[in-house]
Amino acid sequence: MPDQPHPGDRNAAQRVADHAGIARLADALVPALVVKLATANLGEVEIREGDWHIRVRRPAGAGPRRERPHRASLPIVAPPGASLPAPPVTDEAAADGPRQEPALSPTVGMFKPGLAPGTRVRAGDRIASVDLLGIALDVVAPIDGTVVEVYPQPGDGVEYGEEIALVEADPEPDANAAGADGAAEG
Amino acid sequence: MVSRILIANRGEIALRILRACRTLGIEAVIAYSEADRASLPVLLADEAICIGPADARRSYLSAPAVISAAMVTGCDAIHPGYGFLSEDDAFAEAVRAHGLTFIGPSAPVLERFSSKEEVRRLLAAHGLPTIPGSGLLGDEAQALEEAGRVGYPVLVKPSAGGGGKGMRMVRSARELAAVLPICRSEARAAFGDDSLYLERWLEDNRHVEVQVAVDRFGHGVHLWERDCSIQRRHQKILEESPSPAMTQAGRRELAERAVKAVVAAGYENVGTLEFLVDGEGNAYFIEINCRIQVEHPVTEMLTGIDLVATQIRIAAGEPLGFIQEDVRQDGHAIEFRINAEDPAQEFRPGAGTIERLNIPGGPGVRFDSHAYSGYDVPPYYDSLLGKLIVWGQTREAAIARGKAALAELVVEGVITNVAIHRALLESEPFLAGRFTTNLLDRVGAAAFLAAAERA
Repeated sequence: MPDQPHPGDRNAAQRVADHAGIARLADALVPALVVKLATANLGEVEIREGDWHIRVRRPAGAGPRRERPHRASLPIVAPPGASLPAPPVTDEAAADGPRQEPALSPTVGMFKPGLAPGTRVRAGDRIASVDLLGIALDVVAPIDGTVVEVYPQPGDGVEYGEEIALVEADPEPDANAAGADGAAEG
Repeated sequence: MVSRILIANRGEIALRILRACRTLGIEAVIAYSEADRASLPVLLADEAICIGPADARRSYLSAPAVISAAMVTGCDAIHPGYGFLSEDDAFAEAVRAHGLTFIGPSAPVLERFSSKEEVRRLLAAHGLPTIPGSGLLGDEAQALEEAGRVGYPVLVKPSAGGGGKGMRMVRSARELAAVLPICRSEARAAFGDDSLYLERWLEDNRHVEVQVAVDRFGHGVHLWERDCSIQRRHQKILEESPSPAMTQAGRRELAERAVKAVVAAGYENVGTLEFLVDGEGNAYFIEINCRIQVEHPVTEMLTGIDLVATQIRIAAGEPLGFIQEDVRQDGHAIEFRINAEDPAQEFRPGAGTIERLNIPGGPGVRFDSHAYSGYDVPPYYDSLLGKLIVWGQTREAAIARGKAALAELVVEGVITNVAIHRALLESEPFLAGRFTTNLLDRVGAAAFLAAAERA
């Protein structure tokens, strides 16, 4: 941000205000921008507010980082003291096939279907939505690829963080083409 | 009718509500944040649903997430517990608008009673004496002017709140100006509302509160008082009943005035009227808590009445089912709040894994807690790990049981405030029933612990 003074020039009160501003942006604005960027098929979105501006750019061919890497649909009843299953390591687990990543529910609510299995998506595309008291919140694709499975039925209640769909990455261009295609179909 | 309740809270109170539901034959679903996935209420529940991330603003404080969770799990009622959304009238109204029962006072009643500043005027009009205070504070200049009128020292209090959060006692205009932004941000973080007001600070007061229960038909009873004078920075750490500082006639008069005033003012469901009692025994009304309280087991031990079950039945539209003469006042009960905090380090809250837990037992001993061996105490919420409640036929008998139970209690892996409770039970002001709300802060916890060790 070239129009900002050097951080060292800020006094204590300004720094507190800066941190509060950044926290507010991170909490409220950035997720909204990411969704906007993903759904509007834009390459870049920029917002200006007071002293601050924030620019979110979509790198060509790269999906947004997944915020929460764990699996949400854990068995709920377990004896106290029992250790919970470790989150699956999707990248490594898929070592002998294309990478698969789940798309997670952004909230607790009623599932509304969107794309059917087999649909190709880019990271950030809306796969389905979850209805939070009448407001549809998007379930977005975590990576570029193909929707291979959608778990809930229309009208099912889903919880926050629940796995809604599975997206399989496109085969690596330099990988053995026939082998990768075979795995994608299997 | 209520047949399936969403429990929109965490920790020991979520478990307490789950137990009440089970004894009433009502199904329960626990709504939890990601940070509480492995908590005891979630593990023990027949059904649980994740409503959001660890940040309470996006889970336990998110009205849409809580209501949506109730809808998709087929609940017909929501129990908000204490803190979070429990006294939020807009939430109560949204719950009703979605065809669900809010376990607590109805939205209009909450609205009338949840603003501390307004309720003081309302109950003063119905005969309760109040402490001089201000209206809601505006900007700094106006706050300083109000403080000058009320007279220093003053207590800054959040209008929406409870539990001591966002409260500060200040002795000068300079101090007031310094704490106003802190109190506002604490109030906003804890209650989603940063309105503040001032109250004159009474030195050497005791905190005595009256438990009431009023049904939808205007039948109200009191369930005697609780003495919560042992506090650090306005947070209660030990509560008992009956109050050692009052005569039986004084207790009865205060409790009867309290229930008469709230019934006349149109209150409904369980509630607690808090009073400050000065050195001469004058009681001043300060606020009403329109919810179940942390320290409710003290009253349950004395009266034999299940307050959470009573709360649910009143919200379901049932009559109270008992009258004042049915409310016992049997023996003496003491509650020790077991917090994950270090009394030697200014009560700094701690988190970590409970490696070993031994829960005390025996006659007259109750332990309400969501802790278990292997439980990871998350750093995101308040530090209450559980409550040890003891009962005896006399105060001396209750203290003896408290000492034995505290000696049995083992919590390893996380630092707790148990040492302060052991020290309290050896301290002369506590044993003599002379403890005041500012004593622990004035002496300092470290000095207090050291004195107990020398004794």
